Amino acid sequence: MAIDRNKVIEQMSKVSVEANSDGLIPAFNVLVNSFPAEFWNEFTRRMVDAVNEDIVDAVEELFVNAAHECGYHTGYGIITSKEWDAIVKPMVENTEDILHGAYAVFTAWGWGKAEIVELKPNERMVVKVDDYYESDIKDSCAGKKAPRMMAYMIRGVSGAFMDLAYGGDYDPTGESAMYTFECNQTKGIETGDSYGEFVVEKRNES
Amino acid sequence: MSLVLDKHFDNDRCRNYVNDILTVLHCHHYATLFTQLAIDARDIVNGTKILYETSEDIFSKTLTDYFNKNNISDKNERLKLAQEMFSAFGLGKIEMASLDENGGLVEMPVAHIDDGWLQKWGKFNSPVNYIGAGYVAAMLSASFDKPVRTYTVEEQESKVTGAAKTVLKVSV
Repeated sequence: MAIDRNKVIEQMSKVSVEANSDGLIPAFNVLVNSFPAEFWNEFTRRMVDAVNEDIVDAVEELFVNAAHECGYHTGYGIITSKEWDAIVKPMVENTEDILHGAYAVFTAWGWGKAEIVELKPNERMVVKVDDYYESDIKDSCAGKKAPRMMAYMIRGVSGAFMDLAYGGDYDPTGESAMYTFECNQTKGIETGDSYGEFVVEKRNES
Repeated sequence: MSLVLDKHFDNDRCRNYVNDILTVLHCHHYATLFTQLAIDARDIVNGTKILYETSEDIFSKTLTDYFNKNNISDKNERLKLAQEMFSAFGLGKIEMASLDENGGLVEMPVAHIDDGWLQKWGKFNSPVNYIGAGYVAAMLSASFDKPVRTYTVEEQESKVTGAAKTVLKVSV
């Protein structure tokens, strides 16, 4: 692997993300926001808590899809940005390096300390994530433990990263090359595990 | 006094903090999809109310902490700082058209949610800025030392439905 992960995290975490005079943060071909992490976690928890048990799975899927779409477009914006070109691109030798670099940026953005631990190109990826902000949702749950694994953002973004790597040319409409992969969470800090684990595989169309 | 933003990245935990508040970067796709999710869930849960109240609760806490830590008690100064913080979060621009402790009108000529929605999907048949409205409710309650849910904020006009700017009515 050609990616110097620590160097990418150190340099990307220093990239300034400031609002312009309109109060917007245009960067990486999207409008960026910088909210308290608690906002995202709390809305997610309240929505999941508010629905009947029999439709929790459907609501969870909506949260995963929101992150998938976000990860697809913003992920593409990141790997085509001038910051990526300056910091990461010189280390990239192949598609897999792009994925390793993307998770280093993911870490620098404060989403969680994410690292690929297994990668079969265009087939399967396993990501280990320590200290991700979504795991803080447990602090609002009874007994400081979530009733289910709730890192929907990481699931969606991880599926999207594999789409970008192996799903074909980037499609701004998201119609042709998005959702070719899907991600399931197999371990969660929020449910008592020591780290989060995420398995991305090709989406079963049947 | 202008808003002071002490930003730092915790190298050990790889987390971003602004004035000791854990923050994360996301994009308009994520924020507008959360909004759409809240709207689409209307048949099973009052998602837009949850979104509005979550925004009000979290931002009220954020603003109140800032005012307390910096000993800011002047109401007008608090409102001005809350306007600046709205922009610092990337939420857009708030203009207080006619506003006091009893309510009034707030305008958003630029808004992350509205402009992001237009950029992503174009116009829609109803207002969508529940996050911004919740922030305005938080701004009022934190500035005037009132509990959350004191103020009700509703969009009278929306950029997403075709207005030149988003206008929110604040009532007690």
